[in-house]
Amino acid sequence: MPEATTLRTLSDPGRAGPASRLSRLAPVHWLALAFLAAALGFAAAAWATGNGFYLRLATEALIFAGLAMSVDLLLGYTGLLSLGQALYFGLGAYVSALVLRDVAPSFWLAMAAALLAGSVAGLIGGVIANRVKGVYFALITFGLAQVAAKTVYNTRALGASDGLIGIPQIQVGFGPVSLDTADPLSFFLLVLALTVAAYAGLAYLMDAPFGRTLAAIRANEKRVPFLGFNAWRYKLAVYVLAACVAALAGALYPMLRGFVSPELMFFETSGNAVITVIVGGVGTLVGPVVGSLLLTALRSVVGSWTEHHLIVVGVIFMLSVIFLRKGLVGALLARLNRRGESGRTGS
Amino acid sequence: MTKTTLLGTAALILLGLAGGASAAEPIRIGVVTPLSGTYAPIGQQVRWGLELATKEANAAGGIMGRQIELLFEDEEANPAVATQKAEKLFQVNKVDFLTGTVNSGSTLAVGQLAERNGRLIATTVSFSDAITTDKCSPNVFRVNARAGQQSAALAEWLAKDKPKAKVYYLGPDYEMGRSTVAAFKAAAEKTGAQSTGEVFAPLGSKDYSQYFGQLRAARPSVLYTSTAGNDTVRLLTQMGEYGLLRNLTIVGASGTVTAQNIGAIGKAADGFVTGVGYSAELATPENKAFVAAFRKAYDTAPDLYGADSYGLIGFFKAAVEKAGGTDTDALRKAMEGLSWNTPQGTKTMRAGDHQAVQDMYAVRISSDGTNNRFDVVGTVPGDAAIGPDLCTRF
Repeated sequence: MPEATTLRTLSDPGRAGPASRLSRLAPVHWLALAFLAAALGFAAAAWATGNGFYLRLATEALIFAGLAMSVDLLLGYTGLLSLGQALYFGLGAYVSALVLRDVAPSFWLAMAAALLAGSVAGLIGGVIANRVKGVYFALITFGLAQVAAKTVYNTRALGASDGLIGIPQIQVGFGPVSLDTADPLSFFLLVLALTVAAYAGLAYLMDAPFGRTLAAIRANEKRVPFLGFNAWRYKLAVYVLAACVAALAGALYPMLRGFVSPELMFFETSGNAVITVIVGGVGTLVGPVVGSLLLTALRSVVGSWTEHHLIVVGVIFMLSVIFLRKGLVGALLARLNRRGESGRTGS
Repeated sequence: MTKTTLLGTAALILLGLAGGASAAEPIRIGVVTPLSGTYAPIGQQVRWGLELATKEANAAGGIMGRQIELLFEDEEANPAVATQKAEKLFQVNKVDFLTGTVNSGSTLAVGQLAERNGRLIATTVSFSDAITTDKCSPNVFRVNARAGQQSAALAEWLAKDKPKAKVYYLGPDYEMGRSTVAAFKAAAEKTGAQSTGEVFAPLGSKDYSQYFGQLRAARPSVLYTSTAGNDTVRLLTQMGEYGLLRNLTIVGASGTVTAQNIGAIGKAADGFVTGVGYSAELATPENKAFVAAFRKAYDTAPDLYGADSYGLIGFFKAAVEKAGGTDTDALRKAMEGLSWNTPQGTKTMRAGDHQAVQDMYAVRISSDGTNNRFDVVGTVPGDAAIGPDLCTRF
């Protein structure tokens, strides 16, 4: 008996058999579903009380959750710490803003342009950043973002330090029906749907062979070539994927707030995304979403209450690093798993 | 149980009484300003100026019998945070008016938000010309002087004090630094100054001596610079060490030498002249009373931001009284063309672009290394410094 338990904890419990695989998959997706239900409940409550501000705040949290998810792809699944993910978020925001303001007020065109820009920039950035590993990767991503941010900050055509205002509020067309980004509820539901779609797509991908290879890279990159995989290609692919996710999230920002500014590319934005992922739960995808909602709400409330709100967020970050090593969602999942285990042995 | 119920009822009755007794709802002004980070010292002056003026206005009976209430939010000098906080103030706290934004990006973004929420805002700090020229908004007012007014005032003083001066320009190599130099150059050339050359040094340069050869070869009588913070400290002290400060008048942007870096510059700051909308040394009775009250309350002298923010409450009070309430359209109409008194003299809100017209001052620093004074050496009338109305949106 004791031998069996040791084996079990050492090997990945989820890979033990089909039955346990199902029970391992379930908790994180159940959590995501519970989150979706809560989000819809929140939307209904906010709509019933006519509270546009909280809906728009939640929309912003979901947009930054997209950025955090892209950090999680790199950090949680591949083991790459990016300190410059705001580069792609800001790029998507600026591209979307320019398209909406100067080309056509079309949601789909803006998203497509942001996606294209994100993949091209991600490819370039990925080739540069993936030349090095570990802390140097973090520094290169940080440097790339700083260069881009300073360039935008000093480019008059992009509004320089003032940023761009006057991004119109638009109608998003789905065939015969359309919704208005100016309406807090519709836009919240749209962004929620996009977030759920991104979560589902990325979670599927991370469970597919692609994701398993990334996990192998995170576990031991040197061994991956012996299995017949080119680690560099996979790292580049996930870097481009993360850049695209961040760019698409960024593209939604000017639709919500009507402006873009170089601060969106600054280290503060990148750093906040990393904090969000660590507080929410690294390598869970749903963790970044929960973390983003939590931290956005916290900043808004604590920020009104004291100007020392950064200390409060910092303390929460440290506490979660010390006591919740796997973040909120990680801790919650561990509990759920433990209960599932004890339930099974009990029956 | 019964005791708590009783207490609760009593409290409710008391609250009801208090509510009935007070004449009216307070007028709420939202203040979105940096309370943390690099710009916190500016936000602090904004806060002090507004709080002092509010305390005085409330003691004198408020606005039409209603007290003024200030609600502060920290914008972290980040437009993305500023819009979020401003939206909260507009939609949740239902403020009647909003102010406090410091960096120009925040003012522009919050101005657009105000338009979408049907409210008015005013900035007391941002000096980017765009706010009241090509990016002007019907819902945004500026009660402080913009960059153009500052350089016009300085150029005006230069033309009078040193006619046909030969000017050399040294700016920090980034967008704001270059545009500030370009604006002053245009203003100075218009008033007869002769440009002898320009050079741009990277932000945070450690060694400026590499530019001194060019500077000397150009033989200027005046050097204009738009460096800020520690860059100014290094530039001026190095020029002093090289003996370049003799027979050279140094002028610059209003943020080049401030109370924050003058201590480190020391004697090298002596003689520096800039164009600004305020100096605590202004010798008017209104200003003397203001500075005394400010010192008494906060134990420090007001700066430009504190004075402009203090003056805003008077502007708002006069406009609400003229409009008979806080309805947006009526208030906007009342604010346009309004003249009001401030410690800086009388200001007039130009209707065409919502830019305040005010007398501008040329301020010279006299320093013996430990004691520094910002003396007013020239006054440029508001009309001479304001420049044309370039706003076409309304």
